[in-house]
Amino acid sequence: MELFRVTRNPWGQETLVGVSWDLLWWFVGAGAVFIVVHALWTGISRFRRRRHASADRQGAST
Amino acid sequence: MTSVDRSHTRPDGGVSSGRLIRHTGIDRLYHWCMAAAVVTLLATGFLPVVGVKFGWVEPHWIAGSVLAVLVLVHIVRASFFQDIWAMVVVPTDVRDAWRELRHAFGRGGPAPGKPGKYELLQKLYHAGAALVVLSAIVTGGMMMVKIDTPFWKRNPYWLSDSTWGVVYVVHGFAALATLTLLMIHVYFAIRPEKLWMTRSMIVGWITRDEYTEHHDSARWTADPADSGRRS
Repeated sequence: MELFRVTRNPWGQETLVGVSWDLLWWFVGAGAVFIVVHALWTGISRFRRRRHASADRQGAST
Repeated sequence: MTSVDRSHTRPDGGVSSGRLIRHTGIDRLYHWCMAAAVVTLLATGFLPVVGVKFGWVEPHWIAGSVLAVLVLVHIVRASFFQDIWAMVVVPTDVRDAWRELRHAFGRGGPAPGKPGKYELLQKLYHAGAALVVLSAIVTGGMMMVKIDTPFWKRNPYWLSDSTWGVVYVVHGFAALATLTLLMIHVYFAIRPEKLWMTRSMIVGWITRDEYTEHHDSARWTADPADSGRRS
């Protein structure tokens, strides 16, 4: 995967012309990964909190 | 979470709606104009990259100019007419985030305090967004020297090719990072437990219950929505 786009000038020298557009999908992917990981983390945390609350209620009633 | 909208008696004897101002009209207008400008910039910048060909240069520089003016107004307003410290990371934020993390992993310890108007992650997001948006604006402004506008004729020889390359790279990375940040921003805006904040960015107010549940009144004092004063 290239990070940059380059071109050659009339003297054969490489010139930077910008970031590689392949990176577009990496940045979109990074956003998607963050969203999925956060959603999973939030869901698991909520599940654990409910389980603890349920265990606390059961402990109090016995 | 309950969000019962209770009424309260004001000091002048009138009955308050129980709603508190989180974002004033001018701030909401700024936010949505900025959103429109950023979406226009991302669409005109990236759609041609994925194969949708159209005359993107003119709407792109116009949206960029609008964004630059909006950000300039925001900087002046935040610096001189608002509480800029509401958005600055302070040691209390870091301490509370650490305590929050410990509780999340079941480690116990002191309970984390409530934030002021913004919590640590919102402040960090704002700092990141400010960095990438300002980078995009500065480099975009430089690139406008290379296009014809109603105000000047293009001058492609202002900088050397290698310097222009650096400018393009910074602009490109800033644009890509903006796309990621926008995805994350919209994700949080539509999460069920954050909808009260999203609503406040549309209508301006939060309920007193939401204020009590999510904010430390010692760190952020919100004005009643019907007080006529600005938050």
